[in-house]
Amino acid sequence: MTEKLARSVIEPKNPHLNSSRRNNLPHVPGIRVGDYLFLSGMTPINSMTGERSLGSISEQIRVTLANIRHTLESAGSSLERVVRIHVVLADIAHVPEMEEVFREFFPTHPPARTVWSMQLRFGNGCEIECVALAG
Amino acid sequence: MTSTKWNDMSLERKIISLPASAADAARGAGHPLSFATRAGDFLFVSGLTAVDLATGEPKRGTTASETQQILTNLRELLEDEGSSLKKVVKVNVLLHSMLEAPNMNEVYARFFPDPPPARTVCGARLPDGMKVIIECTALA
Repeated sequence: MTEKLARSVIEPKNPHLNSSRRNNLPHVPGIRVGDYLFLSGMTPINSMTGERSLGSISEQIRVTLANIRHTLESAGSSLERVVRIHVVLADIAHVPEMEEVFREFFPTHPPARTVWSMQLRFGNGCEIECVALAG
Repeated sequence: MTSTKWNDMSLERKIISLPASAADAARGAGHPLSFATRAGDFLFVSGLTAVDLATGEPKRGTTASETQQILTNLRELLEDEGSSLKKVVKVNVLLHSMLEAPNMNEVYARFFPDPPPARTVCGARLPDGMKVIIECTALA
C-alpha cells in the first residue's frame, strides 16, 4: 500500500457525551482511519446532563452501550458494525448482568469480545471500548 | 463529523463461526459474542479461555497448561479461517497474576514464529476462575 491513510477525529453529536472535551482530557472520543473507527473507552454518562450515571450495573452497561451507539451513529456507523469490543468491569462477578444487557444491544451476530475486571475510576462499574467499521 | 458515506466501497463485516463439529463452547456459545469477526484484511478474535476443543469443557489448570490449550485452539481456529499464527499482528494476554508471566512466556514462545507478533500482557481479574485469556488481531 502506497497511499497514506488519513487520521480524523470523530465526535458524538450530543456534546454531553463528549467527555474528553468537557473535561479537557488528552484524548478524543474516537479516531477514524481508513475503514475503521477506534473509540476511546466509554463510561456511564447521562446523555441529558453529561454527569456520571451510576445506577445498577445493568443500568450502567445499558447507558454506556447507548452512548457508544450514539457516538458510532454520529460518525455514520452503528452497533451492527462493531467488530471488536472490550468490556472492563469493576467487579468480575457482574459478567452475567453485563451479558444480559449485551443481548438487548446485540441480539444477533455480536462482535468479538473480551471481558475482564480491573480498577476503574470515579466509582464507574464499567468501561467499554470498541473497534467498528466506518459507515 | 459528517455522517455521509465517505466511501462507496465500504467494507462489510463478516461473522466467523467454528464448524458445527467443533466444540461450541470454544467459540463462546451461549454468550453474546462471536468467536471472531472479519473486517477487511483483519480478523478480530475474541478473548479465548482454555476449553477442550473435543468436549467443549473448560480446562482449568496452571497458567502454562491454560496457555498451551488456548494457543493450540487458536492455531486451529485461525487455520480454519485461512489465517494462521504466522499472520497474527497483535496479541493481548490477560493473566490472573503477573507473577505467572514467565510461565506463560515459556509456552507462548513455542507457538509463534520469529519474529513474533506485537503483544501486551496485563494482570486482571478474569471470569469463571480462569487463569489466562488470550485475544488477537490477525491478517485474514
